[in-house]
Amino acid sequence: MFVSDCRREFYDVIVTQRVLLLVASDVDALCACKILQALFQCDHVQYTLVPVAGWQELETAFLEHKDQFKYFVLINCGANVDLLEILQPEEDTYFFVCDSHRPINVVNVYNDTQIKLLVKQEDDLDVPAYDDIFRDEEEEEEEEDSENESGGSEPLEKRRRFEEEVIERTMKRRQRREWEARRREILFDYEQYEYHGTSSAMVMFDLAWIMSKDLNDMLWWAIVGLTDQWVQDKITQMKYVTDIGVLQRHVSRHNHRNEDEENSLSIDCMRIAFEYDLRLALYQHWSLYESLCNTCYTSASLKLWSVQGQKRLQEFLADMGLPLKQVKQKFNSMDMSLKENLREMIEESANKFGMKDLRVQTFSIHFGFKNKFSASDIVYATTSLMENIEKEGPETTNFIKALDSLSRGNLDKLHQGLDLAKKQLRAIQQTVASCICTNLVISQGPFLYCSLMEGTPDVKLFSKPVSLCLLSKYLLKSFVCSTKNKRCKLLPLVMAAPMDVEQGTVIMVGIPPETESSDKKNFFGRAFEKAAESTSSRTLHNHFQMSIIELKTEDRSKFLDALISLLS
Amino acid sequence: MEPAEVEFLAEKELVTIVPNFSLDRIHLIGGDLGPFNPGLPVEVPVWLAINLKQRQKCRLIPPEWMDVGKLEEIRDQERKEDTFTPMPSPYYMELTKLLLNYASDNIPRADEIRTLVKDTWDTRMAKLRLSADSFVRQQEAHAKLDNLTLMEINTTGTFLTQALDHMYKLRTNLQPGEGSHSQDF
Repeated sequence: MFVSDCRREFYDVIVTQRVLLLVASDVDALCACKILQALFQCDHVQYTLVPVAGWQELETAFLEHKDQFKYFVLINCGANVDLLEILQPEEDTYFFVCDSHRPINVVNVYNDTQIKLLVKQEDDLDVPAYDDIFRDEEEEEEEEDSENESGGSEPLEKRRRFEEEVIERTMKRRQRREWEARRREILFDYEQYEYHGTSSAMVMFDLAWIMSKDLNDMLWWAIVGLTDQWVQDKITQMKYVTDIGVLQRHVSRHNHRNEDEENSLSIDCMRIAFEYDLRLALYQHWSLYESLCNTCYTSASLKLWSVQGQKRLQEFLADMGLPLKQVKQKFNSMDMSLKENLREMIEESANKFGMKDLRVQTFSIHFGFKNKFSASDIVYATTSLMENIEKEGPETTNFIKALDSLSRGNLDKLHQGLDLAKKQLRAIQQTVASCICTNLVISQGPFLYCSLMEGTPDVKLFSKPVSLCLLSKYLLKSFVCSTKNKRCKLLPLVMAAPMDVEQGTVIMVGIPPETESSDKKNFFGRAFEKAAESTSSRTLHNHFQMSIIELKTEDRSKFLDALISLLS
Repeated sequence: MEPAEVEFLAEKELVTIVPNFSLDRIHLIGGDLGPFNPGLPVEVPVWLAINLKQRQKCRLIPPEWMDVGKLEEIRDQERKEDTFTPMPSPYYMELTKLLLNYASDNIPRADEIRTLVKDTWDTRMAKLRLSADSFVRQQEAHAKLDNLTLMEINTTGTFLTQALDHMYKLRTNLQPGEGSHSQDF
């Protein structure tokens, strides 16, 4: 059921208990976890943190801990499946689910006791009405019993009544079948498309605000959570702009003292500023040239994988009057005169070259004399720390390192993350360029398909789900810009990459088509499930997002055939 | 004494906070504290103030001497005089460090305050070194220094006493002892 008063029904209940936090592996969940941890530390709440990357890990963690805990908080996992069926908990365990995955499973919505959903009601959820899906089984049995009780009257009447009863029963059965057919249709429509709602970090920040315990730090984490949803293309542009507006009010409330010269804050205090900044990834920590080459938007619009594209880039830079030597060195060392009007200059030139959305509304953080970061920088750094392929210990070290890097005191981890992010972005661009140049993206009819081969450089980086999703989105954008086929521009993309060479598994990701005003709804989750069932391929739907699966390499071709026939 | 011990003693000083929670009077071994009412200022020791601030439960009010104008006056006077001038608080250095580390957002113009206190500290340490140097050089028997704080004494204390000790040993070994006690313990 939905929690209407977050404070009374959630926080006040757990503040005196020991709680188990199960946190999914994405940046939004990390930020929500940080906010909740800060609240717990202020109130001395005892908690255990368990990072989970998929359903199996969720179940194992639950089985390990179910004897010691009664209250579980799930962050960015658990809303889109029937939790009670999967976990089989005891009667007195309670689950608080704060998840941005939609659609929310109807059992979770209509369960009154054990499952509480921390979800904002303004999200258009379109949950089907209770009567359309659930029906009291007992009503039917009672009617049948009462039919049999009537006895002891004349045989003629009895036969007539018997006939009437038979007619009634068949009518009821027909009604029941119709109701069930309608129910299946409603559920199918409801669960067909996967999409995302408000970021969990923003929900947690709201909770902190309601309790008047919100701080600038927590606001920053909420901003990073929202920016993560935008970087990974999980929400529509409209929703992003609306949420930015909401956060901007909080930012001005916390950060208005910078204007006042008399009592300005110490330089070490953290400040957040709203900026209408360039959309270039990591440009303040890199050179402008590298950033232009490795950002999806510019690379796709200028078609930088071709020689023509490189020439256009040079024209673009010349149009702005930026000398190549300046542009190729570190951004912080560029001439001040060039940096001053950089944003306006780039925007003007970009408009001439067909890139209308080069600037985006975002926030940046500023503390000390050296440290200025934009929200998207932090998102890229944290993602690459979390999906670092170099194993440095038990499996959760990457998660903990990424979680630590979000605190302001751990700047060395953040810088390490930034370096890894640069490597990752370069690898993505090179892979995209090679895929397009060698025509690896083929149209299978209802969708486009691309498969990464074993020996491709940096292919290990793409064995992780978030990196692979990022790669596929960039690939689709670039493909749409490169192809002339009008029909192909509207197709969704399925991407496959080798996951584990020894076990022979492949990770497969499906993303919705790239259109101007897409609503980011993804139907691949259900499609993958059905295709796997019909071909009995050995698949693992472990990830919280249904559109990411693992399967055995041998089953790949028959799975794809089934998918094609399903979707055409 | 370790500097950490001096800081520990400094944390007993009282400072004003404005809590955002309510609690009745608490009875501790060192005395009573409270009652705490949201929005009403109350005096507590620094150790409690820092703990509450870290848990987002209060707002710190800087002591009245922690103000740019006053500190500028103190610094200028310290530079003028040859001897030590009285300091606004016997623990001014520790309090400044603690409050500016944990509660700099409650203190206006925190950076300037930090610089001014450091300037005053540097002047006083220079005077201390000068006076210790002249004391040793002129081989005085005793010296009197007013208005020194515990932290300043602590920085030179160990060194000065050990140095004088060594010098005493060297001096007594120079003089031919009566009865030739050549073994001195």
